[in-house]
Amino acid sequence: MTALAIEQQALLDALFTRHLVTQSDVAINLIAVHAYYTGARGLKAYKNNGFSLAERTLLAAYPVMAQLLGEDSFALLARDFWLAHPPVRGDLAHWGAALGDFVQHNALLADEPYLGDVARVEWALHRAVSAADRDAQPATFALLSTVEPDALTLQLASGVFVLTSAYPVASIVTAHLNNSPTLEEVGRKLRAVEAECVVVWRQGFKPQVAPCTAAQAAFMQALQSGASLLSALERADEFDFNQWLPAAVQNGLVLGARPIDPISTDI
Amino acid sequence: MFCADPDLPRADLTQVGIGWRHPHYGELLATRPDLAFLEVHSENFFAEGGAALEVLRQGRAQYPVSLHGVGLSLGSAVGVDEWHLDQLQRLVAQIEPVRVSDHACFARGHIHTPGGLQPVHASDLLPVPFSSEALDVMCANVQRVQDRLKRPISVENLSAYIAWQSSNMGEPEFLASLAHRTGCGLLVDVNNIYVNALNDRLQGVAGDPVQRCKDWLDAIPAAAVTEMHLAGHADCGDIVIDDHGSRVCDPVWSVYRHAVSRFGAVPTLIEWDTDVPALDVLLGEAAKARQFCSEVLA
Repeated sequence: MTALAIEQQALLDALFTRHLVTQSDVAINLIAVHAYYTGARGLKAYKNNGFSLAERTLLAAYPVMAQLLGEDSFALLARDFWLAHPPVRGDLAHWGAALGDFVQHNALLADEPYLGDVARVEWALHRAVSAADRDAQPATFALLSTVEPDALTLQLASGVFVLTSAYPVASIVTAHLNNSPTLEEVGRKLRAVEAECVVVWRQGFKPQVAPCTAAQAAFMQALQSGASLLSALERADEFDFNQWLPAAVQNGLVLGARPIDPISTDI
Repeated sequence: MFCADPDLPRADLTQVGIGWRHPHYGELLATRPDLAFLEVHSENFFAEGGAALEVLRQGRAQYPVSLHGVGLSLGSAVGVDEWHLDQLQRLVAQIEPVRVSDHACFARGHIHTPGGLQPVHASDLLPVPFSSEALDVMCANVQRVQDRLKRPISVENLSAYIAWQSSNMGEPEFLASLAHRTGCGLLVDVNNIYVNALNDRLQGVAGDPVQRCKDWLDAIPAAAVTEMHLAGHADCGDIVIDDHGSRVCDPVWSVYRHAVSRFGAVPTLIEWDTDVPALDVLLGEAAKARQFCSEVLA
């Protein structure tokens, strides 16, 4: 290891090693060998900038989590997450994917077991914002009447994410983002521990989130895995395709149909 | 607000631009103020698609765009992230920027964890020692980026809050050598020089900060300077932070005038990233830079 690599690792350790949060003197000692001036105050400036950046970045991706936890708790969560799961890329838009698992396994949040799924939905919304652009291809729906359903599939929108949750996660998210349903209704569903499925997608440039049925979730998950229309339908019990499709097209959730690649996986 | 004549060749305008941030996306496209270029942070447009990228395309249709990065980590001993380079290359191909730049810093490396070494990107502009070894590393990294992009990049001096004992040359010498060996340009952040001078004074370094900044500029090879940055900073009492959250202060304007006299009318950027004000405030700062530039070069 070169001298430069040792110096850089010492500074990064000082900024990210968890126990240094409460033992800042240790952090200073770590780089004192290499740094001569403003060591203590300068190191604090870098650390504080990291924590501030973590909070701002997560707030942009997780506005519902921030509302649910409150400002102070969310700031603490961001700080803990920054240290536990530091960024590995130079684009912070990619940092934060693990927050769902992180809160789910956080003992301090054990009384709010739905938070993990809320975070997963919010991350999907965040990523949908920057997903690849896809245009609707309405003319391709003619394939539905000319091609056998085991030889075609549906083209879903950009950024589609489907989650089956044991909690009313769709209601929690939409109540905070779209004021529907009411928070009173969400509270009732939480007390009853109502399970919900949710779908995230991008309509044009706008990320969307909506509840869906278990059958719709199974159908879309099958399509995402590369299944043919026939196979996806077989995996979705009590699913009225003819009723679902027009609304899905109108909402931009389904963009078109396409012949399935004969060698694609259709399990 | 003055609107640019669409038929006026922008190359004829004094080369002053502003950092184009989210609060001004719509207003700037609608009003098309008189600016020589727009600067954006490259990483904010690494997405495969979406509204932000579309807005940047629209901005590019109206203005030259300078892609300024904060994440290449040109000074990292572990090198430049191939993934990052891929994203930047794609963006450069799409936007065809007037300039591409990043910082003379590091952010990538490894940290110790109970499970062993873990890769990390600190998402900050961490200083490197001004040493021969760090210079070799940065030259190799800059060369790799330039080879990939097939164009020279510009490298910016930092405001740094720690310094390294292993430094064995001054910052201007380090940057001049970097430019000489790689052919890269130098992006001179005037505010960063002043922030460092103020922090030096807090540490007991003697000398007038403004004069020390001018001395710093005098040690930079003028021909290598491709862009200058101006911004505000925050004086916290025990440390001065380059927060890009206020107007350019008078001493920095004074240093800027000296820089213009040294380097000529190189493109100048007004940066404002914290508590971004109304667009007119940025345009006012840009007009001031243009005025100073004209006065010095008259």
